[in-house]
Amino acid sequence: MSISYEDVAQDLRRIVISGRLDMPGTDSVASQLAQLTAAPKKAVIVDLSHLKVLASIGIRALISSAKDVQKRGGKMALVVNKGSTVMMSLEATGVDELIPVCGNLREAEKAVLP
Amino acid sequence: MSSLLDELTIGANGDDVRRASDWLCATCRRHGVPEPLVERLDLCLNEVLANVIVHGGGTARSAPVRLMLEIGRDDGCGKAGVTVSDAGVAFDPLSVPARASPKTLEEASLGGLGLVMIRRCSDWLDYRNEHGRNLLTFGARWSLQ
Repeated sequence: MSISYEDVAQDLRRIVISGRLDMPGTDSVASQLAQLTAAPKKAVIVDLSHLKVLASIGIRALISSAKDVQKRGGKMALVVNKGSTVMMSLEATGVDELIPVCGNLREAEKAVLP
Repeated sequence: MSSLLDELTIGANGDDVRRASDWLCATCRRHGVPEPLVERLDLCLNEVLANVIVHGGGTARSAPVRLMLEIGRDDGCGKAGVTVSDAGVAFDPLSVPARASPKTLEEASLGGLGLVMIRRCSDWLDYRNEHGRNLLTFGARWSLQ
């Protein structure tokens, strides 16, 4: 399980999460994800294209972060391989209707930047 | 259903959840369960075990969790069913009413997502409580045509 980030532009942060966001996986990165999506960046992309499994505990962490970003007037989007098991998790819980889910970084940037 | 039965006993902890996941996926693949269904069953197993650990109470965490896998054929369909047996607080997830999906991020609740996933990712669910143990079965089926 790993999490890394890159500040791509003045107000845009890209976070990459790899591995499994299941119970042990999320325990190890939840606080880092919360810190990385905290102020001040208003545009946040969470890249899940290298993630193998997204369990509900991981989805909770993503929803929580998306809410925090939205509260300060920003937007968060996810990058996900369409047709993957991660996409299945997002569709099963309806989260794909709440947080923009994009097939690549360019789409995600359009979704979060003004 | 004519079926293969395999079993695994684990502790109710995060490391053993991974071990259970590896066992389920490897056994299903070895016996020809289609990959998309392996992934769905794996997700369901993760969610069921997470509920046992988080909500099952002290008795759930201190006693072994038993997993039973059946793979077979029934009426021209392939079927794979997983039964999770734990000693936690008696809880029938089938008794929890389905809830409407939130329409906005503001409305989204952080709770109850595991049960939503189990319902959406399985083709059938069954629950019983026997001798003080919860037995929850979830399964997937596929056409053999």
